[in-house]
This record gives sequence, C-alpha cells and structure tokens, in this order.
Amino acid sequence: MLKDFQTFGRDLFLAGLNSSHSGNLSVRCGDRIVITRRGAMLGHLEERDLIETGLDKNDSNIILASTEIRVHRAIYKGTAALAVVHAHPVHAIALSLLEDEIIPLDSEGAYLLHKIPVLSAEHTIGSQELEEKLPSLLKEYKIVMVRGHGSFATGQLLEEAYQWTSSLENICRIIHITRALKGEVKDKRSSKYKEW
Amino acid sequence: MGFCGWFGKTLRVNLSTGIITEENIGQKVLSDWIGGRGIGAWVVAGEVPACCDPLGEENKLVFATGPLTGAGVPGAGRFSASAKSPLTGTILDSNAGGRWGIRLKKNGYDMLIIEGTSAGPVYLKIEEGTASLHEAGDLWGADVRETNDKLKDKLGNETSIACIGPAGENLVKFASVMNDGHRALGRGGLGAVMGAKKLKAVAAKGSRKVEVANKEKFDFMIYEAGKWLKANPITSQGLPEFGTPVLVKLFNALGVFPTRNFQGSQYPDALNISGETIAELMTAGRKGCYGCPVQCARLLKTKTGTTLGPEYESIWALGPECGIGDLDTIVEANHLCNQLGLDTVSTGVTIGCTMELEEKGIFNTGLSFGDTTGMLRAIKQIAYREGDGDLLAEGSRRLAERCGAGQYAMQVKGLELTAYDPRGLQGMGLGFATSNRGGCHLRAYMAGPEALGVPKMVDRFSAGGKAGLTITQQNVSAAIDSLIACRFINLAVSEEYFARILSAVTGVDYQTQDLHRIGERIWNLERLFNLREGFDCSHDTLPPRLLEEPIQEGPSSGSVVELKPMLEEYYRFRGWNESGVPSPGKLRELGLEDFKC
Ligand code: SF4
Repeated sequence: MLKDFQTFGRDLFLAGLNSSHSGNLSVRCGDRIVITRRGAMLGHLEERDLIETGLDKNDSNIILASTEIRVHRAIYKGTAALAVVHAHPVHAIALSLLEDEIIPLDSEGAYLLHKIPVLSAEHTIGSQELEEKLPSLLKEYKIVMVRGHGSFATGQLLEEAYQWTSSLENICRIIHITRALKGEVKDKRSSKYKEW
Repeated sequence: MGFCGWFGKTLRVNLSTGIITEENIGQKVLSDWIGGRGIGAWVVAGEVPACCDPLGEENKLVFATGPLTGAGVPGAGRFSASAKSPLTGTILDSNAGGRWGIRLKKNGYDMLIIEGTSAGPVYLKIEEGTASLHEAGDLWGADVRETNDKLKDKLGNETSIACIGPAGENLVKFASVMNDGHRALGRGGLGAVMGAKKLKAVAAKGSRKVEVANKEKFDFMIYEAGKWLKANPITSQGLPEFGTPVLVKLFNALGVFPTRNFQGSQYPDALNISGETIAELMTAGRKGCYGCPVQCARLLKTKTGTTLGPEYESIWALGPECGIGDLDTIVEANHLCNQLGLDTVSTGVTIGCTMELEEKGIFNTGLSFGDTTGMLRAIKQIAYREGDGDLLAEGSRRLAERCGAGQYAMQVKGLELTAYDPRGLQGMGLGFATSNRGGCHLRAYMAGPEALGVPKMVDRFSAGGKAGLTITQQNVSAAIDSLIACRFINLAVSEEYFARILSAVTGVDYQTQDLHRIGERIWNLERLFNLREGFDCSHDTLPPRLLEEPIQEGPSSGSVVELKPMLEEYYRFRGWNESGVPSPGKLRELGLEDFKC
C-alpha cells in the first residue's frame, strides 16, 4: 500500500497538481481508513506518513490524520469509493473561481468526465459543510471541484482517482489556453454536457 | 496608548504586615513582558533577593493574568503563578485554566503579588476590586474539595478559589496550588510557597469588562482561529473525544513511553490505560476551561462517584512509571493527589524512584513496582510527611542523593521528568536539559515536531538541526505562556494568529517576530535568574541513564540522547558563551543589561 501512496503522491506533486505540502490521499479498508498524515509532503511519503484510523470511530491516530479526514470519511460513507484523492490543481482552481461547472472542450476530457460540478462553501478546509454536500455529488460525478480550494476525486483504486484529477487539470488547461487564444470554438459538442 | 486588554494595575499583599496596596504597571513593562509567565519572571527576577530561601519570607508569589485573559479568546482564560521554586531553586512558573484567572482579572488587576509571611493561616478575598485578609484556622488541614466547598458556601458560587491542600501546608516540595476544584498549578512546589506563607486560599470574584481595542479585527481573528480549531483533528476530534490520554497509545507505539523509572520505554498493557479505553469504559462527560470549544478534560465514573480524569502525564506517572497498569488505581491516585494538593508527575516519579531504590536494595521501604496499595499509601504519607513520606516529600533528587544514588532520580535541576523518553526523541532531550524550570516537557515541546508533525515532522532520532528548533519552540512557548494562551490551542493555531489577536485586543502592534523576541527576552531573564542562584552549564544535563544506557527494545531501541553536540550548538545559537552565560551583546540586544547575575 505504501508503494501506491508514494507513486501517486509523487506524481501528483510532479505534475503540479499539488504544492509541496498540500493535498491528501486515502483508501478505505473495510471499517478502517488509511490517510496521509497532516502536513505530509505527498512527493516524499514514508511509512510514518500513512495514518490508519476508524472510518466511523476515532482512535488516538486521529490527531495525526490529515485535516481533511472528516470529508474523506463522509465520502466513503456516502459513496461506493475505495480511494479518494484531494488535490489543488491550479488551472482547475482558477476556473472554479469563475464558473459554476466545468465543461470540457476537448474530446478526451468530455469522454472521461463529461462535466465537473463546482461546489461553493464558506469553510473549505476540514469543513462540515463539505462533509454534508460532497458525497451526494460524488455519487454522480467522478470528481468535484470545491471553489477556490481544490478537487476531490474518487475511485476503486488510488490510480483511478489520480486519473480523474489529472484529466480535470488537462481539461482546465485546454479551456484556459482556448480562452487566451480568443478565437471562436468550432467544436460545439461540449454544450451537450451541460445537462450531464 | 490607552489600556485595552490590560488594566495596568497590580494588587500587592504583604502577609507579614497585612498591608494591601494597589500599584500601576508601566505601559512599557506590559508591552515588553505581556503578562503571565513574562511579567511573573520580571517581578521574581527583580524583587526576589538572591539566594533567598524559597520557603522563607523573602520569596514572592506572583499570580499573573495576560491581556487575553477574559477577553473572550478561546483557550485564553488562563493565569500563571511564579516564584522561586522550593523543589528546584530555579525560577518557576506554572499556569492553569478554569475560571480563577478570569475572575481575578475582572477585579481590574493584571497581577497579584503576595509577599511576606502571615503569623497564622489566612485566606485572601478579592471581590470587585476590594481585597481583604481573613483568618483561616478552620480551613487549615482541609483538603482541596473541603476548602473549596467551605469558601464557596461562605462567599457564593460566583467566587473562584485557588487553594492548597495538606501537602502545601506541610511544605511538600512539589505541592500544587489547585484552582476551581480540579485545575492545578502543578509543577515545582508553588503550593509549598503558599503553605510557607500560611496562605490557605485566594478567593476571587469580579465583573469588570476587559476592553478590546479593535473589535472588528478581533472578531475576524476569532472567526479565523475558530476555523482552524474546527478543521484540525487534534482540537476538533482527538482532544474533545479522548482528552490528553489520546497520547498514551501513540507514544507507547513509538517506544518512548517510559516505564519503571525509565528502565523500559514501552508498556505492554498501554491500551488498557489509553484514551480509547477511558472513553469507552469510564467517560461520563467533557469539561474544560471557560469559553474553550475544545473542552479536553474528562469527567469519569468511578465506583464511588465521579471525578475529573487523569491527564496523559498523570496516567503515566501514577501508572507505568511505577509499573502500574490498573486504571482504577491510577484514577484514584490522581484524585488523591488533587485533593491533597500534590503534583501528580513529581509524586509518581518520586514513588517510581523509590521503587527502583527498593528493587536495587538501596532504600528499603517495601514499595515495589506494581504495588497499587503501596502507591496509594505512599501518596498520603507524602502529603502528611509521615514515615518515609517525609523524605519522599523532598522530591526524587534529594531522596536519591540522600541514599547515595543520585543517578536513579529521573529529574533535571530537581524537577521530575515527564512522560517522554528522550532517547527516542532527541530534541525532547535537549529541551529537558535546557529547561529553565527543570525537567519540563512544555518549555519546548519538541514532541510536537518529533512525533506529532507540529509544526512539521522531523527525524526524531537525529540530533542534527535540533538546537535551532528547540530555541524557537522555547521562545514561542514563553510568549504564548505570557498572553496567556493554552498550548493545546497552539497545536492548531499558530503564533501568527496570536500576534494578530494580541494586537486587536491591546491596540499595540505585535507581529509574529515580536512574540519570538519577547519569548527570547523571557528565556534569557529566566536564565540570568538561575545563574544568579548558582546554576551553570553543569546543570544543563540529563540523568546518566538517558545519556549512557540505550533503550533495550522496541522501535526506539539502541538510542541514547546525544546531548553534547546539541548543547554546544544550542549555546552558540542562543548567543551564550560555552559555559551557557548570555553574552553582553545578547543582553543589550534584549534590554537585559541591567540585570545583575
Ligand atoms: S484545550 Fe483544554 S486545557 Fe486548553 S483551554 Fe481548552 S479546555 Fe482548557
């Protein structure tokens, strides 16, 4: 398990999807959750950075767990996910400040994710509001953006949740570049995904 | 500058003459030393004569609040008390939560200085800005609960009581001062200082409002700090659910949970005395300091009723440190210490030392590791100085030295060590060795970076880079202890927030760097006081066991504290010479050049 955390933690950092100390990863193992340590560097994870605690019930390891643990727990309890990746992809964050939903313009993005909802919350870090709102969205969508904060993606494996995170950032980079070019977008397929 | 946060007033009570006076505190003194530990050190270092007897008439007891006390900042309803310690001979401060500090402050006083010695037992009543001394012969001999109940019956429920138990009256060197029934100024023997002055209690009741300079900024910062308290699992889940016993399992798993007078570093049955087990089997409710959302204290069900549960350090000292793993006994021992007015840590470690001396055939008391009945009996004997308890009441250092076996006392500068084996936490070792009040974990709390990842996780086995970090932690702690704020809150809310809240409350512009500088000034003044009292670099050390005997088993096996290189670096980084004396340049820089040592 450590190897998976190290691989995807490092890739998230190297791909610019997280800053040095941001983001967190978790997996569900029955009624237990293994989550990255609060303040861990995802690019350099070690054994001591993986914290195991209860999915429902706290134990003493809770004081080492990521600040986002309550949101991860809520996602597991409200969805069929077995892995969660929380990241801070910059292009996606920038777009989330302007849009209520992100509709891919590129065909790969559209094929994979169709539409990414943007959720607004007053408190965004370790927040009860997100705990309440995110799971229902993640039942329908693979990945959700929290406005101005970051993405939460789910999967059966860490690799899967990592893939949605990586795709989201690609989608957003393409949107940014396209807007910067200021031309008319000729491919209108994306509008179909508004109702996704 | 007008006064906001502070009232700018000291109440001075001379017990020898009975004279009570009110004094102004200068604005510069307040802004330079802030309150709590800082202003307490300033008074003790300036007014307590060199080499005086800590239990004599010349020692002074300084109760100090801070500018945040009573201002509505979560975790900042605290107060401190300072004096020369009868246990260590060093400068000493200890702080506690509850309501007493707020009620003292709401009389319009930032500080209460007690000096002299009364001819007979008295208590001090401070009510709405008026102070008076009263005869307390009927309270002398009463335990903490009885004292509290009797005074509250007389003075009303809105009065908070800080008092001593029989241990303080009997001048036990590690007697505590207890406030609001169960809160303790535990360490270093402030209870004995009160006992020597024949002051049984201080009752405080007040209603003055603490003004805030910039309400808008204040409200915003409280909102911001609240966000972090809610988001951080330490303050939003770990402490509220398990209290400080949440640390038992964690530190035991790391192999740094000392057992049997630091002979071992892991306790096999730690789960039975952990926060998890206490929460499941005994917890009846949560309690905590006034206005704090964390409420980290546990109300426990026992066979005989309810009691406030032992904290992490007390569970350890009265448990595995004495080879004891029976939770009921630990809870009972903790309750007994609180009622008799004894510091749980020094009590447990001194008993643990006695048990090792027995084991080695050095001091025959019949008290062996794991002896639950013997431990409970020893606690009472210490408080009343009965039998062997008379020697134990002097603390582990004097006890072991009198047996010709000083190496078995687990103490630094006379203050018993706490629940962290520094062989597996190198920075804790340096923090213990250099602590100005002796073996205290809280002066630097290097377990934060070395085990809890606060502010960042560092390699606990490495001595490299620990000097600088320890210094920063010590300076910040001195500042936070002066505001005066709870260190648990500081695990989730950084000093930057405290600097901003302090500015909003007082109207004085404080930046983070100012808190570091004020902390450094306090630390150096405390050092100067200790140098004056005869302490030198030879006292910045640890018990030989921790320097020479590697941990035998578990995840920390094979390590000892590599103190020498860390200490050399520490002195250099502090701007002290190789003997640990602050350089004239450093003293000038901190405005301490006039202090004579
Ligand atoms: S965290 Fe605990 S000790 Fe600190 S102020 Fe809150 S209740 Fe008091």
